[in-house]
Amino acid sequence: MAVSTPDLKGLRRSVVGIAGSFFFYLVQRRWFFIALAVGAIMINLPLPEGLSRAGLIVLTMSIVATILFITEPIPLPTVALLIIVGQILLLDLESTKVAKTLMNDSVLFIMGSLMLAVAVVKQKLDKRIAFFIVRMTGTKTSHICIGISAVCGVLASFVGEHTVAAMMLPVGLTLITLTSDDPRAVRRLAAVILFSISYGCSIAGIGTPSGGARNAIMIGYWREFFFDPLNPETRRFLVDYVSWMVYAYPMFLIQLPFVTMILLFTFKPEHRNLSRAVVKLRAQIQETGPMNRRDWTTIVLFLMILVGWIFGSDTYGLGTIAILGAAAFLVAGLVEWEDMNSGVNWGVVLLYAAVISLGVEMKETGAARWVAVSFIEVLAPLGADQGIGLWAAISALTTAVTNTMSNGAAVAVLGPLVLNIADVAGENPLVIGFITAISSSFAYLTVVGTPACTIVYASGYLKTSDFLKVGWRMVIMSTVVLLVAAAVYWPLVGL
Amino acid sequence: MTDGTPETRFRFLVCIDGTDDSYRGAHYAADYGPEHDICLCYVRPMDRGLRSGGLNLRIARENMMTWGLELPGIQYLKKGRDILIDMGAMGPDWEEQATHVDVEGDPLGDNKIEYIAKSGKKIILKLKVAFNIPDGIIEQTEVAPYDLIIVGASERWRKRKTMSFWDPAVAEKVVDHAPCPVLVARHLDAARGHLLCTDGSEHANEALRKNLFLVTHGNAPVSIMTVAADVESEEEATANLKALHDILTERSITVKDSYVRVGDPAEHITKVGEDYSVIVVSETAKSPWHRFFKGSVSTDVLQKADTSVMVVR
Repeated sequence: MAVSTPDLKGLRRSVVGIAGSFFFYLVQRRWFFIALAVGAIMINLPLPEGLSRAGLIVLTMSIVATILFITEPIPLPTVALLIIVGQILLLDLESTKVAKTLMNDSVLFIMGSLMLAVAVVKQKLDKRIAFFIVRMTGTKTSHICIGISAVCGVLASFVGEHTVAAMMLPVGLTLITLTSDDPRAVRRLAAVILFSISYGCSIAGIGTPSGGARNAIMIGYWREFFFDPLNPETRRFLVDYVSWMVYAYPMFLIQLPFVTMILLFTFKPEHRNLSRAVVKLRAQIQETGPMNRRDWTTIVLFLMILVGWIFGSDTYGLGTIAILGAAAFLVAGLVEWEDMNSGVNWGVVLLYAAVISLGVEMKETGAARWVAVSFIEVLAPLGADQGIGLWAAISALTTAVTNTMSNGAAVAVLGPLVLNIADVAGENPLVIGFITAISSSFAYLTVVGTPACTIVYASGYLKTSDFLKVGWRMVIMSTVVLLVAAAVYWPLVGL
Repeated sequence: MTDGTPETRFRFLVCIDGTDDSYRGAHYAADYGPEHDICLCYVRPMDRGLRSGGLNLRIARENMMTWGLELPGIQYLKKGRDILIDMGAMGPDWEEQATHVDVEGDPLGDNKIEYIAKSGKKIILKLKVAFNIPDGIIEQTEVAPYDLIIVGASERWRKRKTMSFWDPAVAEKVVDHAPCPVLVARHLDAARGHLLCTDGSEHANEALRKNLFLVTHGNAPVSIMTVAADVESEEEATANLKALHDILTERSITVKDSYVRVGDPAEHITKVGEDYSVIVVSETAKSPWHRFFKGSVSTDVLQKADTSVMVVR
């Protein structure tokens, strides 16, 4: 049958249209295909000396997952699903065995603390906290900023930075909007106030084990990699709540005044005194009336959870207590399950679980050790294969990674590597682990680095370039404080 | 819709992000005349849970709203609306309709306020949620057809092709995928006139002819330009320019200056274009992969120009 010219033209147009759509899809998902290509190349490389086939597969999976974490061409929980499937199909592991590695105390803690975060934010204690801040600080911008950082920090060190950032964001925004309706007239003031919230939370999140998922993940790795129930000497790798605080909390306190100084120096806010906004804010807050039974119940429940973490986490684990706390909020009727269900992104829990599971495989297959040996070989000529040089290198590596993905994911990915590096270099894994966990909070340069940064960025007042403008100063300050603490303070307290 | 006649009601999509360029875009759209529809659109990237540590950002947003604070973008849209009111593009007695559309993955969804005049003319404020900003703008053109998208330029536009591959600028992606003409605004002000560029192809002239009302922007002075690849083709280029001149004269549009240059088109166009408010070029790449692998003059002009650039199709 003869095909007429218009038919051919139509056919050609359809083919071009389909090809165009396919090209658009390829461009949109390019990083997914690039990651797959990198994976395909790596997996077919000749085996490097000292690395097993299984090790190469796990290493390949880790690199592919890291590319996908950073570039996000597909929804991130999909990466978790692929990691699970990859372990079963590529490593030939039993699905039940893989499933078991997905759940441990760290994952329970992440789940529990997220549910607690929703429960706490829902109680609307933010106005009480705001009242406390403005009463304590007065009306000077600098005093308000240090007050915000201090209060956010103290709270975030126990309840997690996302909780506090979500609670305190309206307080900061109210101060800004009460100062001026025009966002451009208070741009620098907005930056100082909002960064006081996010950086206050970030520097404090490492203060206690319950301050962030990364801390629980590192505690889990120490237990998994170094604790041997038959060897009493390895009990030191079971880091309890108070010990963690002794090592890490002073770092938050030291950094606190520097945060305000750096923010004021960098942004130079338009208003040095916020008396007008503070007066209006006080009037708004006073409308809420005195503390009621619900407020008191929340505070008592939270203090009980805190006591549980301090005295019971050694025996029952941080995760169990977090889960118990979430259950207590539900039993007390302070929050509905629907609120928790919609407030928590469960895909994130799955993601952490999968990454931790992959981390365990990194150790089991020897891939982590091989990377550690290679890393040390690279650092040796630079004199950074041990001591403060190695600490600085690990801190820099963690800072670089954590600025491209969430800090919990950074510790989950890097944990097995750095702990093996410590082992190979003859360093104390506790010191290296602390350096990694603490450095993971140095994600000051990007929006995606820490949950607190992402939350304050959602206000619409900040530009991504603001993070770079102030972030590099923060990175230098925090790194110096960390290295000085590691060299001077930790030996004094027996680490 | 774009038949080039000013009697038609045109629809402009002005992307608002709080920058001066975006407000100048609103101003520019209103300058086309009082009878056209204008949609001021702010795109908010969808909240993604991992970035906020697993706590959905809606919790923070809901908390903000209980304090009486507005969603980001609303202030910017209101300011854009106020500009239109000040310019007389919108009256105080217009009917107001608010609409909310649920968006999968983001409970705050899309929100829209339509202001409708008795004549049927609409000013729309749209707060849109999308996976990312350029996708949101393109999706909006799928919801309703537009005759022109006005989007602010980004400094990231000037990065090299490799950086552009890593993370293309918003305007770059919008120009690549928009189904209609796009004006990338840089210090936008129509007073210095428009420079219409042609390569002499039927495709380019047709694109200009079809969008004549848009590219001439009312009474703004118009100049025309073409660039010959070499000296031998200079004569042909002059003839091409004459053809464009005739198209404009046919529609009673006075041509202020005519330029014929020899050499690299993007280089010459950006140099001459320095003295104009808007450089108008037609999209020469036949397809996205053609543009990606072989490049196009319009993309080069967009990257190099210091002034606003309109790409017509």
